[in-house]
Amino acid sequence: MSGQLLHPTHGLGIPLTKAVLSFTEQEEANLVAASKKGDQDSFAQLVQQHQRRVFNLVFRMLQQYEEANEVTQETFLAAWQGLPKFRGDARFSTWLYRIAYNCALKQLEQRKRDQAMQIELQTEDRSATSTQEQRVDDDIDSHARQALVHEQLANLPAKYRIVLVLRHLQDMTYEEMAEILTMPIGTIKTHLFRARNLLKERLEMFDRERLSRTRGE
Amino acid sequence: MRCPEANHQLQLYIDNRLSMNQVRELEEHIARCAACQRQLYVLEEVTSALRELPPVVEPANMTMLIMQRVAMSSRRQSDNQFSLLRPSLFELVTVVILASITTLSIIWQQPSLREVLPFANPLSQTILYVVHLIDYGDMKMITLVLWVGGTIIGIWITLALAGTEIRTKWFKAMMDRLPVR
Repeated sequence: MSGQLLHPTHGLGIPLTKAVLSFTEQEEANLVAASKKGDQDSFAQLVQQHQRRVFNLVFRMLQQYEEANEVTQETFLAAWQGLPKFRGDARFSTWLYRIAYNCALKQLEQRKRDQAMQIELQTEDRSATSTQEQRVDDDIDSHARQALVHEQLANLPAKYRIVLVLRHLQDMTYEEMAEILTMPIGTIKTHLFRARNLLKERLEMFDRERLSRTRGE
Repeated sequence: MRCPEANHQLQLYIDNRLSMNQVRELEEHIARCAACQRQLYVLEEVTSALRELPPVVEPANMTMLIMQRVAMSSRRQSDNQFSLLRPSLFELVTVVILASITTLSIIWQQPSLREVLPFANPLSQTILYVVHLIDYGDMKMITLVLWVGGTIIGIWITLALAGTEIRTKWFKAMMDRLPVR
């Protein structure tokens, strides 16, 4: 993943969950009801409300900016076309994220099928890894540790990435994640714990390497 | 509490999924165990790094691009609805035939008009011949034939005017219900 693609929206370090202005539940319900009747202006407001979160969710799964852009558009188009079937049993955002997750999964499967693209991605990964190794060698401060976690997140399997993103970037509960990913809570917990343990292990490995280098000097 | 159990609970601890009693027990263990303290520290470092992950800004024109696609999909849907009103060649021929039958029957009922039109006489003679046949034929059989013929023509006219889409659905539904394939 290219570092230049990451642009903080503000300099205050406010997490993503607080960065977007939100409607009240009633306002959102009114917009959804109007959109179901075909009101495109209301739907545009829903798009503005949710597009950043949906885009980030998709981007973290796909790790590719242009693909994330396309899949986010497809997500909202699918939502617009599926709105007449939306009964309101779940929250609109939950329903929307489920669509986004499914669209991103479909894209990942498509990518797997595309052999040529896979080879290209592997080449990119190799160059990213070598850059990352270089950075690990150069920086040993806390920023480097944070960057390491961010980079290792990109290398995790998609099923682990998605639970980490939903839990820590979108601040969701186990129950909300289970609803979006249509998985039992037990599976959500297993994936989440394994994902965090993997990141923890890589951070510990980084510490051990640093320690052995210090002793070597 | 032992370290393996504490290790498992650390994950639930950072997600605030432990009861008050479990939290107390775990914190007591952590206070005494340097290894679990270290585990908690690294785990918190991981979660904090994830929370600090900067949001990726979507393209500036994303709303516009999405709404363009939404508008196009809506237009396509309304075009599809309009296509139900656009007659096919088959439907057009049906309408022309029906209109011709109506016109001819009007001409046949107007003797003055019949005399003026050059093709009206042979036509009226043919119709009169048919009426004559009906008058002298078996009335029960003729009624049955007219009833069956009328039903078939009625269904045919309905399907012809209903449009291709409804016709296809009707045909599919009918085939599905047939006991033999």
